Amino acid sequence: MKRVLVVDDAVTVRLYHCDLLKTAGFDVCEAENGVEALEHAMQQPFDLMLVDVNMPKMDGYRLMCEVRRQEALRGIPIVMISTEQEEQDRQQAYAKGANYYLVKPAEPELLVNIALVMTGGSQ
Amino acid sequence: MGLKKSTDKTDEPQDSVSFEALVELLNHGSMAEKRLAARDLADHPNGRSELILALQNETDVAVLEAILDSLQQHFDAQLANDLLDYLRSENVFVRNEVIGILQNYPDFVGPHILALLNDVDSDVRIFAVDILQLLAHPDTPQWLLSVIKDEQHINVVAAAVDRLAEVGTPEMIPELQALTERFPNQPYLSFAVKTAIHRIAEAS
Repeated sequence: MKRVLVVDDAVTVRLYHCDLLKTAGFDVCEAENGVEALEHAMQQPFDLMLVDVNMPKMDGYRLMCEVRRQEALRGIPIVMISTEQEEQDRQQAYAKGANYYLVKPAEPELLVNIALVMTGGSQ
Repeated sequence: MGLKKSTDKTDEPQDSVSFEALVELLNHGSMAEKRLAARDLADHPNGRSELILALQNETDVAVLEAILDSLQQHFDAQLANDLLDYLRSENVFVRNEVIGILQNYPDFVGPHILALLNDVDSDVRIFAVDILQLLAHPDTPQWLLSVIKDEQHINVVAAAVDRLAEVGTPEMIPELQALTERFPNQPYLSFAVKTAIHRIAEAS
């Protein structure tokens, strides 16, 4: 079973994404900011990280930077997800190392399909 | 330790670096010099405007942290006003830190909330709701309620629903339920409304 780390400071968003991914057959772990996410990622392997941009303590871009800096973590695909929908937001995410950028609220099917593609296929 | 003029006469008292030199170091020094300059400018009468300006161009997180720490040492209404401009910053770190700082000053931020919730930029409206998450202000529930009644942008509404799940009261449930009719075919919002109602009911 593929493991996904869902990172978002909004409880409801986190619950929703976890719920969708669990229903699709993923093993899901959650974190409410970048610091917590990094701690999880150092302790256990993940096949994908779904990361919000705007979070307290450590935002999504700083988290991505840390993940890409560490050899043990840098191969984890990262899907950034944000309410910001300008092309420059998308470009910024890709420039900083995101594998995909989703705008909230993401369509459930799209979110699951992206997770499937990023983790290498069906559960 | 603050920045000091270098001198060969080590037994003589060292003068503090001039304001102009501190500003120069803040903008063009090494990372360590920038951090120290930011710290030393905190107590200078004209330091604030330079620190605020430096937020625009600085990209190093450690320096930005030093600048924001210095600014907070003398928080007042004008600083709240100045920091609110940074909700429009493209620098995610600055924006999030500013949100975190503003949450601590309900008396200075409260008078700006309605304007922020009516800003033309939906991102700014979302950040206003984010401020409300931890703003200990008696009007917070009512401000959030006004968002779910009047706001048209789904992400602003969704952010408000998420916050109302924490501070909402049972009499707000009908307004939450009405959202699913106002935004049909929005699975996330339906989920958020159900979750909020469940959490409000549990807490009451």
